[in-house]
Amino acid sequence: MKPKQKTMRPKLAGGRKVSSSSGPRNKNRAYSEDGVDMTLIRWMLSLTPAERLQVAQQSARSTQEMRNAVRGR
Amino acid sequence: MPSAAADYQAILRTLVDNKVNFIVVGGVSAMLHGATIVTLDLDLVHSREPQNLQRFLRALESLDAHSRERTDRKIRPTLPFLDISGHLLLTTSKGPLDVLGTIGDDLGYDELLKHITEMEVAKGLHVKVLNLDKYVEIKEKLNREKDRAVLPVLRQALEARRKRQSPSRGQRKKRPKKS
Repeated sequence: MKPKQKTMRPKLAGGRKVSSSSGPRNKNRAYSEDGVDMTLIRWMLSLTPAERLQVAQQSARSTQEMRNAVRGR
Repeated sequence: MPSAAADYQAILRTLVDNKVNFIVVGGVSAMLHGATIVTLDLDLVHSREPQNLQRFLRALESLDAHSRERTDRKIRPTLPFLDISGHLLLTTSKGPLDVLGTIGDDLGYDELLKHITEMEVAKGLHVKVLNLDKYVEIKEKLNREKDRAVLPVLRQALEARRKRQSPSRGQRKKRPKKS
């Protein structure tokens, strides 16, 4: 067994520790335990279905444009 | 390879205008439910009722749909092609479109109708979208490497949606004001 490494967390003025947004106690954590970015999911859920379709469309377009650019080099 | 920029809205509007019965499935359905995945094509399961196939074929013609498996010549879909349980990978003037007779465990349009939500995906454009829980269930059963890769995101989106929809969560009871 490796000894547990002590992680250094930054401290705010007055010695308070900065809370980790991915910590298990934080309900609004940034990442799930399996590493999924929950901030993006929360953002997607804040949109209407029409806006989500726009996001899907735009991401497909951008990805395709980048692929075309790479192929065209 | 598909070259047209994806315009899912235009494809869906063409299908709705032609009164085609279909369900949006796949990555776009997951995104419409809030999952953060990227997909390059629009997947649909269509009703294989004869009259619907006629309407679908008309819509596909107006979108200049042709197979993207052959790049040397344009192979256009035909009625027999649409009347199969397999997958038809098309490219259209509005982007790539995958036409699926069935998905998962041989689930066709009629079976999937029990698992849909109707969504307004643009002004006045209402489409049937496969529910996220059913999509997760199908992916779990398929259990291919590509399915396992997206399952964590799909499950988290499903969980986040449930939390949002649950009326008991996040609501605090109002305390009576102290007089």
